[in-house]
Amino acid sequence: MTGFYIALIFFVTGMFLVAVTLLFSRLLQTKKPSPDKYLTYECGELPQGGAWIRFNNRFYIIALIFIIFDVEIVFMFPWAVVYGKIGLLAFVEMFIFIVVLLVGLAYVWANGDLQWVKPRPKLEHLPKAKGK
Amino acid sequence: MTASEILKMMPLIIVLATPLITMLIIALHRNHLTTMIVSVIGLVLAIIAIPYSKALDLTKIGELLIIDNYALFYFLLIFTATIAIIIPSYPYLEMRFKGNREEYYLLILTATLGSSVLAASTHFVSFFLGLEILSVSLYALISYLRQTNEGIEAGLKYLILAAVSSAFLVFGMALIYSQTGKMEFNALMQFFSNSSKLNLISIVGLVLMIVGFGFKLAVVPFHTWSPDVYEGAPAPVSAFIASVSKGGILALLFRFFSQYDVLNSKPLFLIFALLAVFSMFGGNFLALLQTNVKRLLAYSSIAHFGYILVAFLAGNNAQNFKGVEAATFYIVSYFITIIGAFIVVGIFSTREREAMSVSDYRGLYWRHPWLSVAFSAMLFSLAGIPLTAGFIGKYYVLASGIDNQLWTLVIILIVNSALGVYYYLRIVVEMFSQPEEAAETKHPSPSVGVMTGLILAVLTIALIWLGVYPTGVIGAIKISVMGL
Amino acid sequence: MNSIIPYLIVGAIVFVLGIFTIVYKKNAVGILMGVELVLNSVNINFIAFAKFVDTGIHGQIISIFVIILAAAEAAIALAIILNIYRMKATVDVTQLNKMKH
Repeated sequence: MTGFYIALIFFVTGMFLVAVTLLFSRLLQTKKPSPDKYLTYECGELPQGGAWIRFNNRFYIIALIFIIFDVEIVFMFPWAVVYGKIGLLAFVEMFIFIVVLLVGLAYVWANGDLQWVKPRPKLEHLPKAKGK
Repeated sequence: MTASEILKMMPLIIVLATPLITMLIIALHRNHLTTMIVSVIGLVLAIIAIPYSKALDLTKIGELLIIDNYALFYFLLIFTATIAIIIPSYPYLEMRFKGNREEYYLLILTATLGSSVLAASTHFVSFFLGLEILSVSLYALISYLRQTNEGIEAGLKYLILAAVSSAFLVFGMALIYSQTGKMEFNALMQFFSNSSKLNLISIVGLVLMIVGFGFKLAVVPFHTWSPDVYEGAPAPVSAFIASVSKGGILALLFRFFSQYDVLNSKPLFLIFALLAVFSMFGGNFLALLQTNVKRLLAYSSIAHFGYILVAFLAGNNAQNFKGVEAATFYIVSYFITIIGAFIVVGIFSTREREAMSVSDYRGLYWRHPWLSVAFSAMLFSLAGIPLTAGFIGKYYVLASGIDNQLWTLVIILIVNSALGVYYYLRIVVEMFSQPEEAAETKHPSPSVGVMTGLILAVLTIALIWLGVYPTGVIGAIKISVMGL
Repeated sequence: MNSIIPYLIVGAIVFVLGIFTIVYKKNAVGILMGVELVLNSVNINFIAFAKFVDTGIHGQIISIFVIILAAAEAAIALAIILNIYRMKATVDVTQLNKMKH
């Protein structure tokens, strides 16, 4: 448990120092608010509109694709650690795994989900797009 | 991994390869019919591989899987059921869904893979993987008709509840693991059989796992998702949830407890008995109030899984397999009937909506005599009327209960069967009653495709065949359960 | 650091926070975050038990699969939530009440 006490002391000391600094600055500072000071970027770009806007749906699609392929890396770390011991079998297994991922990638690519502007699918039976 | 192990796993490998190949085909050339045919061919190949796999002697594949006769029996059941669901899906999707229809088959195939992994699993890791492959595919399948409000609503409901339930399930696994340091079912059950070691933490772990099981099987009190999901999901997907998904979980439940005498263990027996009683009463009473056929089937499915739990309680371990035998036969008959019933619901759906209200079936006999006869056969079987598979199934469940003197449960089961007859017959009466004027225009006649009609006919014949001559199937079940 | 207790305490805190989030959030994305918290607390437990109880590494293996599951679930869930947002312009789960008996 000693490790945890050290961490606790470290944590408490850190909080204390931060609090003291903030308090000290509050005591010393002068307050002269002006509209310019409340801008996001105090000098340079003028922000336009609010931050709570609707993001393009494409962000989500790309993020989804990214997360699916990204997380698979988790399997490769343990694989890399034991690769030397297992040898060829490990290679074959990882090869199959990568092939499965590649099939997924081919599917996503063929569907046009990797492009920022998705080509409109040529689905003649699709009713005319609603709104937007 | 030796060559014979790969051969032994062939049915699973084929079911795994089929969605990959289907995916490539979709990427190269999108076509609804091709996708459907390729997935059916994959499943047929997997079924053909089963006897070859059976001929091989070894059963254990590594630590995770065990492919014995029991697993192979469930593979056969699951694959056949999936074929029977996939083929009627084709006209259904053509009619009701605008957009990419091909991915539906990918998802159904991965869900089938998950369910069959469950049937062959003997380790927490493979259990967890199978369960999640199954449920993640189901999330997408349930909300597949994404232009309908009900579809995505049902999808989100199932998603949230299933995610929470599987979180509970893994937490239960973690607690059990903390006490035993093991994850293999047999090792765990040996540990639990020594009741002096059964402390509070492991009981809490088991209870959390039972919550997870109960949610997937939709037994009361974990049933709240099921009527909404059955109603909102496309009819073939409802059939899939009711049959393949629950069948896989049940196969796992039987295997999990196969080395443990639930009948003589106080806390577990009490928990399962309460689940069974609540499910039988809750399912049947709520079904009585329903006028929506899909919700009615959902509630009745809750009650049916209550009956199956009675059989499970009556004998689940190596000394006394009567109960699991009865339950397995019950599942086979239930698969046939519920898939058939949902196929009929799918056939009567129109572009705008599914035929869900009981009044949609009014006077069906005068418009579609054969279809109504098939649907009546399904409903009679669900009600457990003689000469149908459902009757034999219920008889076996009762016999196994009586063998073990579970009198209370047996009496409750009989009372509930009587309740059930009422609401099934209500639909049958509605079908055979004279239609009112102008009904023709209100219910446009659906056209039944050749393949769908064939599947329905095969299911009906199988239903009656099992009801008249169940010996063959029972023999197969006896052999498969023996090695559990 | 040779006691299992701190791990269990952290795991329990994360688990309770997760359950709390699931119960109290009305936003579908918020509920998902709660589920992820619960899964992560399970991971902490598994890894702690793998170190202190098991002689092997089963706990670590299953935790890798739990991580993958969490990602897959999040992906599908976000896709469903996007569709709900397109149709209803809200992701408040209390608004999803079209189906009643």
